[in-house]
Amino acid sequence: MAEASYAQAQTASAPRAVRIFEFLNRKGPAIVAVIGLVVLWQGVVWGFEVPTYIAPGPMDVLRAFQENAGTLWSNFWPTFMEALLGFAAGNLVAILLAVLFVHSRTAENAFYPIAVFINTIPIIAVAPILVLIFGNGLAPKIIIAGLICFFPTLVNMVRGLKAVSPATLELMRVLSASDWEAFWKVRIQSSLPFLFAALKIASTTCVIGAIVAEWIGSNFGLGALIIEATYNFRSPLLYATVFLAALLAVLLFSLVSFAEARLIRWKTPAVH
Amino acid sequence: MALALSDAGPAAGAEDAPAPAITVSGVDVCFGEGGNRFQALSNVSLDIADGSFVTILGPSGCGKSTLLRAIADLVPTAKGSIEVHGKTPHDARRDRNFSFVFQDATLLPWRSAIDNVRLPLEVGGGGDAHGDPEGLLELVGLKGREKALPDELSGGMRQRVAIARALVTKPKILLMDEPFGALDEITRDKLNEELLRIWQETGTTILFVTHSIPEAAFLGQQVLMLAAHPGRVKEFMDVDLPHPRRLTVRDTLEFVQITAHLRQQLEEC
Repeated sequence: MAEASYAQAQTASAPRAVRIFEFLNRKGPAIVAVIGLVVLWQGVVWGFEVPTYIAPGPMDVLRAFQENAGTLWSNFWPTFMEALLGFAAGNLVAILLAVLFVHSRTAENAFYPIAVFINTIPIIAVAPILVLIFGNGLAPKIIIAGLICFFPTLVNMVRGLKAVSPATLELMRVLSASDWEAFWKVRIQSSLPFLFAALKIASTTCVIGAIVAEWIGSNFGLGALIIEATYNFRSPLLYATVFLAALLAVLLFSLVSFAEARLIRWKTPAVH
Repeated sequence: MALALSDAGPAAGAEDAPAPAITVSGVDVCFGEGGNRFQALSNVSLDIADGSFVTILGPSGCGKSTLLRAIADLVPTAKGSIEVHGKTPHDARRDRNFSFVFQDATLLPWRSAIDNVRLPLEVGGGGDAHGDPEGLLELVGLKGREKALPDELSGGMRQRVAIARALVTKPKILLMDEPFGALDEITRDKLNEELLRIWQETGTTILFVTHSIPEAAFLGQQVLMLAAHPGRVKEFMDVDLPHPRRLTVRDTLEFVQITAHLRQQLEEC
């Protein structure tokens, strides 16, 4: 009995060992590189006796994470919500506008230049204007995060919706499909690879948007914490906040990638 | 498997004389405007008998695809009229009297083979006659590959799916625009033979554009030869080869004589 279960454990663990080996084989260089950089970082900080307020070592940053867990956590949530809501709103408007553009030449001619113009205004210049209008609450941050997502998605979505081969549209015509059916069954589907290319960009830029908005006038969020930590020379906390913001972007990017893998199972032509 | 694809409804059987499936009379098709105006077809007239298999052959630029597209209501005619079972091409298209098979399989890449075959039933009102998608995939030799995505199928298999999709609306007429043109010769031969089998099993009228002389002669009961500049009817000839045809028929003297004649005609175009 004991022998049997031992044998089972052996056979069960063999593929797992193989899997771990394969994982290390694939990710090994990246892991080693990251560890190497962290060690180098710590080494430089120690070796050159850099003061903590100028550049903290990784150990200091880790300690800052531990000591300020509550502060970091309570400031993480507003930024997370702003980025997420901005991502949703900005992309939704972009998608709807793209649909309108594809159906109406006039609308495209009327609004596309405006969209381009809005995109050319640096987000950091728009932020104060929006803070003046909407005050210090969540609204201006969501709008700025949305604004930064908006343009890449609009451009990609318009391209995606138009990227249907003429032959496929002829097929839909032979089948007497209505415009709505052609849109729903063909255009939306074939735009998905283009859309997700844009959503991946948006998933990281919306965090930037939220943080920039918090710099302008806010007493909460990771952006505000960055400003506060900088002015008070709390460098380890500053670094910890930056890492947390990066983690947030990585999290959103992973969610979009996961959704993409679930929704797009066919091989797609080069999109970017 | 019961495949009554030529099932034309209650009225069709009661008619006395065999009315032609397609009547083309005095059709001109032009493209472009003003100085760039280009006449693709000039005064084309012909009758396609119900249930027949007609291949259209001609040099490039003779408008063979254009003729097929005019019948399918994909390009407008400048002059003359086209009747498909007594209807305008537009009405025939709306009533799903014909299906079209393109040179490219034009499958939707995100849909499995079976879902691609089902597409015509989901759009354009779906039509009255619902074919059996599973049975049709079996008919075209793709049983067991229902769930495969187009990426996972070879070029020949994709074109088989396209044929099954065309048949799912139980059309009276199948319009095929060089459907095997992009395939290798071995695959093409196999599909030619299977298309004849499908034609005989379903009784569908087939109009088949090709630029291959052997293909035109092997498939067609009749070969419609078009001449170019402008596109016009050169010859509409019967191919006197018995059915069912096997690929070996191409090694017979009769077949070689027919292709020799077609080649000669083609050179005169």
